[in-house]
Amino acid sequence: MNLYAPILVLGGIALAFGVVSLVMGALTGPKRYNRAKLEAYECGIEPTPQPIGGGRFPVKYYLTAMLFIVFDIEIVFLYPWAVYFDSLGMFGLVEMAMFVAAVFVAYAYLWRRGGLEWD
Amino acid sequence: MSVVLILVVAAPLLGAAMLLLPGIADRAARLVGVGASAATLIGAVVLACGFDRGRGMQFETDVSWAPSLGLRFHLGIDGISLPLLLLSALLTLLVAVHSLWNIPPGGDSRAFVALFLLLETGTLGTFAALDLILFFLFFEVVLVPMYFLINRWGSPGERGPASYKFILYTLLGSAVMLLGFLLIQAETGTFDMVELADRHGAGMSHGVQVLAFLAIGLGLAVKVPMWPLHTWLPDAHTAAPTAGSVLLAGVLLKMGTYGLIRIAVPMLPEGAETFAPYLAAFGVVGIVYGSLVCLALLRDPDGDLKRIIAYSSVGHMGFALLGIATLTPQGINGALFVNIGHGLITGLLFFLAGAVKDRHDTALLGRLGGGMYGRTPRLGALVAFGAVAGLGLPGLAGFWGELLAMYGAYEPAAGLSTAGYRTFLALAGLGTVLTAAYMLGLVRRLCMGPAGEAPTGRPEVDVTGREVVVWTPLVALTLLAGLWPATVLAITDPAVRALMGGS
Amino acid sequence: MSMSTAATATLAVTKVDAPTIEYGKLSPILIIAGVAVVGVLIEAFLPRPARYRAQLTVALVGMIAAFGAVVWLARDLPDDHRGSVTAMGAVAVDGPSLFLQGTLLLIGIASVLLIGERRLEPAGGDAFAPQAAAAPGSQQEKDAAAAGWTQTEVYPLTMFSLVGMLLFPAANDLLMMFVALEILSLPLYLLCGLARRHRLLSQEAALKYFLLGAFSSAFFLFGVAMLYGYSGSVSLDKIGVASAGAMDNDALLLIGLAMVAVGLLFKVGAVPFHSWTPDVYQGAPTPITGFMAAATKVAAFGAMMRFFYVALPGMRWDWRPVMIGVAIVTMVAGAIIAITQTDVKRLLAYSSIAHAGFILTGMIAMSDAGVSSTMFYLVAYGFVTLGAFAVVTLVRDARGEATHLSHWAGLGRRSPLVAGVFALFLLAFAGIPLTSGFSGKFAVFQAAARGGAGSLVVVGVLCSAVAAFFYVRVIVLMFFSEPKVDGPTVVVPSVMTTAAIALGVAVTVVLGILPQPVLDLADKAALFVH
Repeated sequence: MNLYAPILVLGGIALAFGVVSLVMGALTGPKRYNRAKLEAYECGIEPTPQPIGGGRFPVKYYLTAMLFIVFDIEIVFLYPWAVYFDSLGMFGLVEMAMFVAAVFVAYAYLWRRGGLEWD
Repeated sequence: MSVVLILVVAAPLLGAAMLLLPGIADRAARLVGVGASAATLIGAVVLACGFDRGRGMQFETDVSWAPSLGLRFHLGIDGISLPLLLLSALLTLLVAVHSLWNIPPGGDSRAFVALFLLLETGTLGTFAALDLILFFLFFEVVLVPMYFLINRWGSPGERGPASYKFILYTLLGSAVMLLGFLLIQAETGTFDMVELADRHGAGMSHGVQVLAFLAIGLGLAVKVPMWPLHTWLPDAHTAAPTAGSVLLAGVLLKMGTYGLIRIAVPMLPEGAETFAPYLAAFGVVGIVYGSLVCLALLRDPDGDLKRIIAYSSVGHMGFALLGIATLTPQGINGALFVNIGHGLITGLLFFLAGAVKDRHDTALLGRLGGGMYGRTPRLGALVAFGAVAGLGLPGLAGFWGELLAMYGAYEPAAGLSTAGYRTFLALAGLGTVLTAAYMLGLVRRLCMGPAGEAPTGRPEVDVTGREVVVWTPLVALTLLAGLWPATVLAITDPAVRALMGGS
Repeated sequence: MSMSTAATATLAVTKVDAPTIEYGKLSPILIIAGVAVVGVLIEAFLPRPARYRAQLTVALVGMIAAFGAVVWLARDLPDDHRGSVTAMGAVAVDGPSLFLQGTLLLIGIASVLLIGERRLEPAGGDAFAPQAAAAPGSQQEKDAAAAGWTQTEVYPLTMFSLVGMLLFPAANDLLMMFVALEILSLPLYLLCGLARRHRLLSQEAALKYFLLGAFSSAFFLFGVAMLYGYSGSVSLDKIGVASAGAMDNDALLLIGLAMVAVGLLFKVGAVPFHSWTPDVYQGAPTPITGFMAAATKVAAFGAMMRFFYVALPGMRWDWRPVMIGVAIVTMVAGAIIAITQTDVKRLLAYSSIAHAGFILTGMIAMSDAGVSSTMFYLVAYGFVTLGAFAVVTLVRDARGEATHLSHWAGLGRRSPLVAGVFALFLLAFAGIPLTSGFSGKFAVFQAAARGGAGSLVVVGVLCSAVAAFFYVRVIVLMFFSEPKVDGPTVVVPSVMTTAAIALGVAVTVVLGILPQPVLDLADKAALFVH
């Protein structure tokens, strides 16, 4: 069981951090609320969804975010591959070519279907 | 490999398939029905002529079908199945002829004919199957057409619940029976009925035999029907159209007792020995109960003629059960004879009841009044004939079966309580008296009394030429089997003795 | 000094052996993956009018080629029919994999034929929304419908899902299995929400399926982690070795087993993880429902069998009682709740739940006969289901498919052929002799009886009887009730739906009357590679 002890400890620390920050904030901070402060924090812009207007929000944020994630993940794979490139040899090259091709197919699809145009 | 037997089983199916072809007119459909069932009967008679009493299983076909599942296409007949095969083929032909002029409203007559042909394939196959799964398969094939016949062409108002009850009872019954078959197969590794019967339960422990007998017996007892599992039968009979009632009584009920004789008793002797007294007891209760209900219905102005005949079936099948439960050749021969006699007599009675219902638009005793002798003497005479045959008058087909069954009960097989069986015998005797009482009471209610006005106000026709054609074979065979029982017994007896292991 | 040593050690590139992958052995999966990618490219670069034909052609040709590859691999199996593992032990190429992959590809071909049907909608178009992103009932949606748009993304989505399905029963380690599970599920979630009619119902179905599916995937993944914690490996073989002598400290093993089983049972729709099934089956576009009902079950049961037979044979005394309980509850609940249904698609959904119970019965037998009978059942069931849903697409009124049972009254009078075919499928569901349903049920019950699960057989047979009752009731409704005056009409489909239904009928009848060749094949293919 002591294999799992560090995990438990880590979990305990995370929990303690959360609890302590919240409790400390509540105890020590000044309490001057206004409407803006009570709203969910969202990068300083008007929070979405708007309470009026059906609650739909532009899907474009998500397209961009997904695009970012696609390339982000690609990088995650590319780094270790680059480190071990020597010993992987031809196999590594072929596999990575397939992987990159697959990612670029997705990219091409997104581009052709207008995913990169904001309006 | 016997082509004739396969043809006999397949002919009705081919007839039904022909009816699916587009462009068959109503009239042609009915003729196809007669043609297919006539061909079947001719085939069955050919089989009977070529049948060798001295040998066991004949006209065998044994083809491997799905070896991985242990399924075989194994058909054959012996002295036990041959009479039932002939009876089924005959009754279906009569129904087909009857349907030439008489299909109740309810829709497409093509479907009606196709369904009873399909039913015939199922019953013939059940009697010819020598593989448990094949038996089950044919057993199931019978259910669906019968359900449709009742549900679609039955008397309005009653047919819905009656058909549901029928299919629920029999589906559950056959599901339980399948479980029993699977159990036998799991223990012995084979579904082959001939081999299993030869083994006489070898390879199965006492507990397994008891369990398997319980499952198979329950499934078959629903079909017999054995009291207290009979409650679907009166409803189904009352609601069913004439053709359906005749086939139900004359053919379908036989499958239950046949299954007990062919499968449950020889393959599971220890199970049979354990349950035989209960079987006998339920059979005797059925005899007495059936006749008491009939007596009550007779006094009830709302008593239904078809319902009375249905309850009399419960009583008759009680005799068959008693015969089987003696586990003696006499008793089992008796049970088979009861089957034949009941098929002929009750078939006739249902035809008569149908004829009465058509003439009066009702089968309720209170509305029918009496005086049939006066208004329609020939029909009245036939009703009286059917009734006395049904009560087991010596010289008619109903007598020998009951006598043999009771004779068997006087001296049951070794291991069964003689005292107990003699008690059953006495009770069954009481039952025959009660049966005589209600059958004669029925004749008094229907046939005697002042002729008076016909209840419908229409002039009534007496027996027509068409009806003569359909009923004559039944009357003649009832007389033949009654006067010369050896025609049947000579065929069944060797087979029964062989099946019982020469005891 | 020591710091820098550690840093060097971390950065030093140790020599690793390049993994090997026999691409040939993965060819069926790779072909379909390639087809899916080509499908995406078609969407990207071909002009809209040309896409439909191109997609359909590529998908069908690809699946036929992949089926050819499966046959080729199956012929290459050694004489003792033992397969091999490839991709560093992550994928098994053995009898069950190939048998189920072949089945999946045939089901896929029939499904794509149904998906490609464009004759049924009176205004033109297929069964899918002209613009799925438009809010239901909005002006945008109406415009899209009026403009007669059709989308063809369903084909690559279906192919991606099929990739996951092909991989799922072949996955020989739990991570691969999880990846396959996600590949098969994610496109299905989307596809469920694409129905042209009843948009809200369809989106509800998609959302429900997604939420519950994601939840069950989480269970699966957590279970994988537990099993890894127990055995130190995600490979089914190694878990099998580690669990063979499990005696003490097996809390991790048991929890892991249970959680992975929950994930798998969810996919097959077994009680108590079935609640999504009726809603999703009802809301999804009917061709997709057919594909999902048939193919997902095949794939998920394949994976489940491999998981229990390869990874946990030593634990059978722990999991068998639980699975027996699940199978019993599934059969009973499916059969009984189905009786009260008034919608054809929901009825078929509950019947699929009951069938999941029957299939579990075969799996629990824990023998070669159990594997082969389960696989046979899956073939039989898959084609019957697909055929039944195909028939559902044909019965229509002004609002689309007329799925309420009361609309089906008297269908036999209006269109005897369609009603007859549907009746055949219902009889097969009921397990009436001479249909594939009977051979299949018989095979699994026989295997279970020999495997010592007698209680299951008893419940199974009784449930079949109950189920038969309500199937027969639908048949009576179709043939022996008066048709409604404003009842639905049967639309004449194109050759594609006709072909799919004909395939279903053919398989149902052939497996009912002459099951032996397929049974032989399943028998030969019943060995899992260890």
